[in-house]
Amino acid sequence: MAGLAAVNIKKEKIDEPRPSVSTVNDDGRSEAEIEARMLELLHQFPKGISNQILDTDMPTVDKQIKVTILNKLMSKEKVSMFKAAGTQELFWCLKSHPTSRIKGADNEERVVLGLIEEAGNKGIWTKDIRIKSSLSQATLNKVLKALEGKKVIKSVSSVSAAKKKVYMLFNLQPDRSITGGSWYSDNEFESELVDLLNHQCYRMLLQKAEVAKQKQNDGPFTVRNSSFLSSKEICQVISDLKIVKFNLTVEDIETILDTLVFEGKVEKSTTSDGNCDGQVKTYRTVEKPVSSASIVRMPCGVCPVMKKCGNVGAIQPKDCNYYGEWDD
Amino acid sequence: MSSIVLSPFNQTCYQLINKYFGEIVGEVAKFLLSRRYGTLFNIKTGTGMSLWDVKRALAVLIHQNLVEFQANEQNPNIVDYSIIYHNAYCLLRYAKYLYTIKRIFGSSEEVLIEILLNIGQASASNVIFHSANKLNKAIDDIKVINPSDLYQSFQKLAANNFIIRCPKIEIVENMPKLLEFEEKDKFIVPQLEMEPIAKLLREKATQIGEHSDSEIIWRVNHQRFEVELRNVILVNAAARRVDETTGKLYHLILKLWREANPTEARVSNAVSYTLVKDAVRKNDGGSPMLMEHFDQYLRVLYEDSTGLISRVGDSGGGQFAVNYADVFENFACSILDSVVLERFGSKKALRIFRLTRMQKFMTDQDQMQKLAMVSPKDAKTLSYKLMKEGFLQLHEQKKATSNVGPVKSFNLFYVNLPEVVRGVLETSYKCVSNALERQAHDLTVNKCLLERHADFENILEQLRGEDAPDNEIAEFSDSMTVADKELVAKVLKLCDRLKLVPIQADETILILENYLKFHSMP
Repeated sequence: MAGLAAVNIKKEKIDEPRPSVSTVNDDGRSEAEIEARMLELLHQFPKGISNQILDTDMPTVDKQIKVTILNKLMSKEKVSMFKAAGTQELFWCLKSHPTSRIKGADNEERVVLGLIEEAGNKGIWTKDIRIKSSLSQATLNKVLKALEGKKVIKSVSSVSAAKKKVYMLFNLQPDRSITGGSWYSDNEFESELVDLLNHQCYRMLLQKAEVAKQKQNDGPFTVRNSSFLSSKEICQVISDLKIVKFNLTVEDIETILDTLVFEGKVEKSTTSDGNCDGQVKTYRTVEKPVSSASIVRMPCGVCPVMKKCGNVGAIQPKDCNYYGEWDD
Repeated sequence: MSSIVLSPFNQTCYQLINKYFGEIVGEVAKFLLSRRYGTLFNIKTGTGMSLWDVKRALAVLIHQNLVEFQANEQNPNIVDYSIIYHNAYCLLRYAKYLYTIKRIFGSSEEVLIEILLNIGQASASNVIFHSANKLNKAIDDIKVINPSDLYQSFQKLAANNFIIRCPKIEIVENMPKLLEFEEKDKFIVPQLEMEPIAKLLREKATQIGEHSDSEIIWRVNHQRFEVELRNVILVNAAARRVDETTGKLYHLILKLWREANPTEARVSNAVSYTLVKDAVRKNDGGSPMLMEHFDQYLRVLYEDSTGLISRVGDSGGGQFAVNYADVFENFACSILDSVVLERFGSKKALRIFRLTRMQKFMTDQDQMQKLAMVSPKDAKTLSYKLMKEGFLQLHEQKKATSNVGPVKSFNLFYVNLPEVVRGVLETSYKCVSNALERQAHDLTVNKCLLERHADFENILEQLRGEDAPDNEIAEFSDSMTVADKELVAKVLKLCDRLKLVPIQADETILILENYLKFHSMP
């Protein structure tokens, strides 16, 4: 249903359809038959049927009847109505997973369920459901408990705000923004896993650089170019090592490699790949231009109370404890 | 002792002057360091010393190129004295100067520089005379050193700008003034006759007496040495980034740049590809690999992200220059990274610092957490810790919602590089001054103990030399207790370490100072 903007229609309790002016219309079809024909059309055009199609198919059927039947189908939750984004025409299409499969669900539950379904795999917050459905807090809680009991929906706690719970359909996987992605398990950031992968990637790149150095006689350019590894290759090797239980995507590996860039150990460069279009990110280890600041080799360079050190007062270089314990 | 508190840099200068010239000179220097200018009378009342002492101290300082004088603005009959801050700091580097000269030239030039550093300002003949004496004493040979060799060495030093003429005194509007020479005259050595000096040496004289060029006075050129020390760091960086041969190539290119532009500028003048290739060809004995893969080496260098070389044009096969501001910015960042890593003890702090520095826009804690792959709690604690120590700066951006009630604001972090560099630079100066102070303190406090230990060692040596029986040696050994010996060992060990501290810290200071210098150049 690409390109169609959904129109939020408040689903009110619809009464039984008015008895039509004549149940048998001009070409002798009954309402039920027309309904069946419409359903056929809906199946035929899964992308949706517009008024035009209905007209071409059954020109003799009265417009009023068509509208009534469509309304009936909508109330049975078999069909939903959309407005086309460009032409503002109305479309009707079959609902992919009719929510009315739940037996004995009353309208309130259906409404809430509809909202939760719409939210997809990002889930919807309790407060938002309340605003959109304009149900009271107590009713809403009852409905949510009932639905959870039937195992139709579930609550997932978001990683950004630990106390916030969002609801989504039971069989959906929560989106990355809620669970935080591959690096979160049970809403906790897995620093050890990140460190481990960090180490592995760095070792891989170091090994590649070592191998590349053997080719020194071919010139430094060759040495440098053969010490590059692309993120895809790294992802492949790390996945083969089976350190992590889930599948590592290239993006995941790239975030890990970016942390190495942020530690200054690795340099990133983008080159265009000959085969596919788009840029390929490659990485290699680099040495820092200055090995380490010389002042960090002395107590004063890393002293935590440097600002308080002076010629007077409790902290003086004369009786500094750090100098006394300087063992190296 | 006056109770003036000095800034870290000034404290370092004071400690150095105190160490090398003694307390009296140190006190005068301390006064002048805290006040920009001082007249003779000011100094006398400020330090509380006698006029005689103050005059002698000033004479020493002026002769050592540490103090300069000029006429007072209000009253031209009075002289204002002021410290030359940079020269005072360079006292730290004298050992490095000698090593540099020895590395580039040889031992006779090293002796010349050593004598000139000791005396401060001297004429060429004087320096040559004293150097010859010193070499004679060292070699202890019957053959006397030929002063003509030393004269040639002296000329070599001047040609390479390691020594420079002192400003001359001229009477301008009835006022004696110090005037610098023209650029071209600063390094010209006068024609000298070595015969009189050789004669004096044969007579084993201790003073040179009257000589023809006593008006032409030389001193050590600190700027040139700084350029040399800086080049060492640059070449080392090139060698680290690529490999040794690249370091050699870079060394040659640096020489070419120096010849191309004599003055210090943010971006050096460009040298062409053909020029570099010629230089490498002349130096071919150094490394055949360089000639073979010359293009590759050059390319790898100028594609390197540190900015050691940048290609500025295409004429003549390629024009290459260096933008010192960029290079030193990278070096300074490297230094800061190292300091953050060691001081905060974790890679995470380093990641956060680097990523905030590398981003074009200011970062907030959420972004930090995502990009640096740290837990949200860590992101918060580390960013605040870094801010407290002055590595990150905070910018509060208010959300433009309602004016009623509590206003939400974004807390954004950024790195103001010059500010952070200045902070670390001050810490480095403090490192140096603390080390000097602690060393001086330790030696004075433990003076008696150390003297006793020195005597003890002497006698022990004597006994061993005389082949005294073992039990006598053992008995004598016990006269100094084990605790004492341990204490002495500990003190001496710390002193040795502290001696190295200023020299090592100087490397960091050099890089950071040069960053600030080139950064503020237009």
